[in-house]
Amino acid sequence: MKTILAMVRKELIDAMRDKRSVMAGLYYAIGTPLLMCGMFMVLIGQLSSPEDLSIKITNGNNAPDLVRFLNNRGINASTDEGVVAKDVKDIELIISDEYAAQMAKAKPAEITLIADNSNEKLQQSIRRVEQQLQAYSSEMGSLRLIARGINPVVVQPIKVIVEDQATPDSKGGFILGIAIFTMIYSVFISGMNLAIDTSAGERERNSLALLLSHPISTRQLVLGKIIAVTSFALLGLLLILIVSKIAYTFVPWQELGFSVNISPDFMGLMLFIGTPLAIMAATLQLFVSFMAKSFKEAQSYLTIVLFVPAALSIAASYNIAPDVLEWLPVSGQQQALMAFIKGREIPMLQLLVSSSATLVLSIALALGLEKLLKSEKVVFGL
Amino acid sequence: MNIGKVMLQGTYNKVSKPSLLARKSKLISAIQVGLLSVLSFSAMADDTEINSAPLSSCYVDGLSEQVQCGSLLVAENPAKPDGKKIAVHYAVLPAIKPSFKTQAMLAIAGGPGQSAIENAAGFDRVLAKVRQDRDILLIDQRGTGQSNILACEDDNMSVLSFNDDDMDYVKDTQACLDKIDADVTQYGSLTALTDFEAIRQHLGYEKLHLYGVSYGTRMAQLYMREYPQALATVTLDGVVPMQQSVIAIGKAIDRGYALLFKDCQQNSLCGEQFPTLEQDFTTVDNALAEAPIEAQVRDPQTNEVASFLLTRGKFNGAIRMALYMPNIRSLLPHAIHQASQGNYQPVLGIYALTSDSTGIAMGMHASVVCAEDIHRVTDAIREQAKDSYMGRTMIEGLEATCSVWNMPQVDSSFSDAIESDIPTLLLSGELDPATPPSWGDMATEKLTNAKHFTSAFATHGVAYQSCGNDLIADLVKTGSLDNVDGECLEKDVRRSFYLNANTVEVIQASAEEE
Repeated sequence: MKTILAMVRKELIDAMRDKRSVMAGLYYAIGTPLLMCGMFMVLIGQLSSPEDLSIKITNGNNAPDLVRFLNNRGINASTDEGVVAKDVKDIELIISDEYAAQMAKAKPAEITLIADNSNEKLQQSIRRVEQQLQAYSSEMGSLRLIARGINPVVVQPIKVIVEDQATPDSKGGFILGIAIFTMIYSVFISGMNLAIDTSAGERERNSLALLLSHPISTRQLVLGKIIAVTSFALLGLLLILIVSKIAYTFVPWQELGFSVNISPDFMGLMLFIGTPLAIMAATLQLFVSFMAKSFKEAQSYLTIVLFVPAALSIAASYNIAPDVLEWLPVSGQQQALMAFIKGREIPMLQLLVSSSATLVLSIALALGLEKLLKSEKVVFGL
Repeated sequence: MNIGKVMLQGTYNKVSKPSLLARKSKLISAIQVGLLSVLSFSAMADDTEINSAPLSSCYVDGLSEQVQCGSLLVAENPAKPDGKKIAVHYAVLPAIKPSFKTQAMLAIAGGPGQSAIENAAGFDRVLAKVRQDRDILLIDQRGTGQSNILACEDDNMSVLSFNDDDMDYVKDTQACLDKIDADVTQYGSLTALTDFEAIRQHLGYEKLHLYGVSYGTRMAQLYMREYPQALATVTLDGVVPMQQSVIAIGKAIDRGYALLFKDCQQNSLCGEQFPTLEQDFTTVDNALAEAPIEAQVRDPQTNEVASFLLTRGKFNGAIRMALYMPNIRSLLPHAIHQASQGNYQPVLGIYALTSDSTGIAMGMHASVVCAEDIHRVTDAIREQAKDSYMGRTMIEGLEATCSVWNMPQVDSSFSDAIESDIPTLLLSGELDPATPPSWGDMATEKLTNAKHFTSAFATHGVAYQSCGNDLIADLVKTGSLDNVDGECLEKDVRRSFYLNANTVEVIQASAEEE
């Protein structure tokens, strides 16, 4: 045990020596939440319909009551002579010249709505205009019935009472899915440089053979390296949790109708669930790096290998994910975390299976590593 | 396609039920919220005899999302803490992003007698911006909604054919009183206020922002007087000043009529289409004063053949209720004109709409009015009301009611102007047929940190019809009135009058038909 601790200390000191490259791994943990928050702030501004929506209304004089109605709901005509509003959305309403005559006869009065519905920036605004036109139309329909001595409820035969089971937290589920993905990914990214440096790097510096010549077993050496890399991965995870907790509170989520809250409970659970993942990430990365012949080759392989957990994690953040993902490493943990944050019951069995699979995989890889290091081909990179 | 709801945006209590109806119930009328909606709480909201868990998930009418509900057991009579207990129910619409967990916006419904929780959807819409970072707290004031409601329903009466002139208020009220199992003297505003404060403490809010509408403004003002330390800001919308008896509303109603006639006359389209509107009204009103008109009609809802007895009370009641809602108000010139021509369909439509709801708990209404308002009706007010049909009938009806509904009078200090330096925003609608802007001015008498804005185009419940809701959000956000200016209220949001049964737009000569 003492030997292992000495090994770990040696690895960590080694890692600290090349501060720049190792810290680069941790920059991910600090930078990603900040970048995401920045991105969401911009996106929220782009996607939400502005409080005062300016659109083009042609022939507004044909329907002054409608124009005032829209105006009262924040949809303003921009093209009234003289006043040119700043941010006019590319949405146009054309009131037909027959509007008043059609109205007077209770014939459907025509209004043309021109807009590009595939333009994401406009979709919400278009929907808002449609809704308000519908509201105006419904109101007028109701009043026409009243004028004929009929209660407007008769044209609403069914009243649908919706009981939405979403909780405030689950409404932000999509965002949280991405946030959890970045956190899980941090486990893989943060230790990566150290994993390469301590394996392929050590070999290139010719210090691996020297190390092996010391009176320690291969197993102790492997464990020492795994623990060192794992602790870096967990450090990265801890960092990203702390930075996320602080940064996410600055995003105006409420404009999207929900809130995103990284609670201390969630942080604890994430660290707990993340530990097996960090061990697996460390062993996997060490294994792959030792397989590679050179430092550069190791980097290339790892980049490819990293794609696997990323793909699992991303797939699991969509509801359409096949059920089998619940049982696999990475995606299983991701889904358990999402269930927790959405206030649902955590699928304990699946979490247990996926976490066990993670640990089994780690042990298998560690044993593989041990075997690898007994081969001269690997030790000398032949 | 929610026709019913859409059209009622901006509404209130209705004319309705016979007994208290056409006359008394219309007193102040509360506000907005779906006329047609019926209360539908989930079962969860109901079983609450325990105070331990303050909140549990529930659904309230008109909102699809989960909100939090709970109730607090309080003594019906605070002087007898060991006596009968009643459960006062409340609902919390949780903040979208709870940045101020120790604060909430308490929204107080009107009536008196409306349920705040039943009106949750309306409050949610108006206070949407406030809710972005603060909880909205709704309390069913004792005697309303789910809080030991004091209702006086009489379902046996046909709304269409009954004659309100034949009603015996004393008898009806006595029947209701006999039916109610409660000490009705404990359902006045001051006792209810102690419930509000107890719930604030129960839920752990340090400060409340208040939004009172219509009669709710009286509760808000009492809160300012009794527990100023618990309040951060106050908004009074459709103000009933403490100095004012709500019964003396006849003048306000007549003012509402006059403004309708004036509006139509000054509007070129309406003035041209209905040049003799006021005269048309007088013609019908006088004819009805002589004798009610009976007509065979189709029931507005079921389409069954029915007999419609149009009395003076129903005619005026329907018009009065329509004046509360800008959209229905716009149909009045057409309806009045048609009535003068012998076509009562539009009046029937408006009457049916305004009479089919039971938004007001008339027992609680009586408890409040008989303790706090009836004794303030002086001979001078009575004399003045003689000229006003609505004012007169309302006073007569309530005096009869209160002769049975025996309530101890509140202290004379109850009617003192509120003295306070809490930031207070007052909103009045120029077209309001219940609480005119002059009432708002009266309420500011001793408020040292208040602003009073009048919207030229709003009726009762300014925040529902204008940018008043934004002003409230600004006030709550900054906690001060410094940056609150009423400029946006000047935006012309008036609705055009209906010129026939179909349109509000110009009727071209070729299309002319009347």
